[in-house]
Amino acid sequence: MGLKRNVSLATALRYKGQGPMLAFILHRIGGSALFIFFTLYILSLLGMSFANTIFSNWVFQIILLVFGLFHAINGLRITILDLFPKLIENYRNAISIEWVVYILVVGFALFVVLRNTLGG
Amino acid sequence: MAARTLPISKRGFNFEMFMWGFTRFTVIVMYGLILAGLIGGLILSAQTGANLADILYWAFFPNVSQNPLSQVWMTILAKLMVIAFVLAACGHGVHGVLEILDDYFTSVGARRWARNFIITYAVVASLIAAYVIWTS
Repeated sequence: MGLKRNVSLATALRYKGQGPMLAFILHRIGGSALFIFFTLYILSLLGMSFANTIFSNWVFQIILLVFGLFHAINGLRITILDLFPKLIENYRNAISIEWVVYILVVGFALFVVLRNTLGG
Repeated sequence: MAARTLPISKRGFNFEMFMWGFTRFTVIVMYGLILAGLIGGLILSAQTGANLADILYWAFFPNVSQNPLSQVWMTILAKLMVIAFVLAACGHGVHGVLEILDDYFTSVGARRWARNFIITYAVVASLIAAYVIWTS
């Protein structure tokens, strides 16, 4: 695949991509966020205290939860559709359900993080 | 949109096909371990009186927190589950990172280097994680 795609992110989301394209992009961002998390986790296990400091930062926690949870929930949707190919006909509905689940889960997670941060 | 009906026997078997299956397998393993970990954590929490959050925190960061579990078999089981989760996550991540890198590295040499680097990183990171979790 060449690098000269000549398609901007906005164009990709506007054209036929739309919801599935957005899910694809967020899945990649989430995977990258989890890769960073995993690297920090290994550094933490090695006894590097700065990794624990980053883990306890509420901004890092929010970024990780927003993208990491999307990766997990979207991954579950992909796995289900891969294992049951007949469901692929309803993939747009599956993405809609995924968004509802994601908003509920991430909303609760953010509430907990912010409540702890604000000392509630 | 028609459903895909190509049987597995006709899809061929190469590195990409193997890693596709491996990625799906590891993600199912991770979901299973998360479910088993939460249920197991709740059971241990009820048996020992320890806080569920303390158990999960200790399981993932045994080098910076106290072991809240009282019996040896609980400790061994928890450590084995976390090591299995880390290995599954690492295996799953290898393929994901490679897919992203393959989209941006277009030459054969760069892709080979990326593949070697990521696989080496995954092996080293997995060994470090397994060693520290087991010996903490």
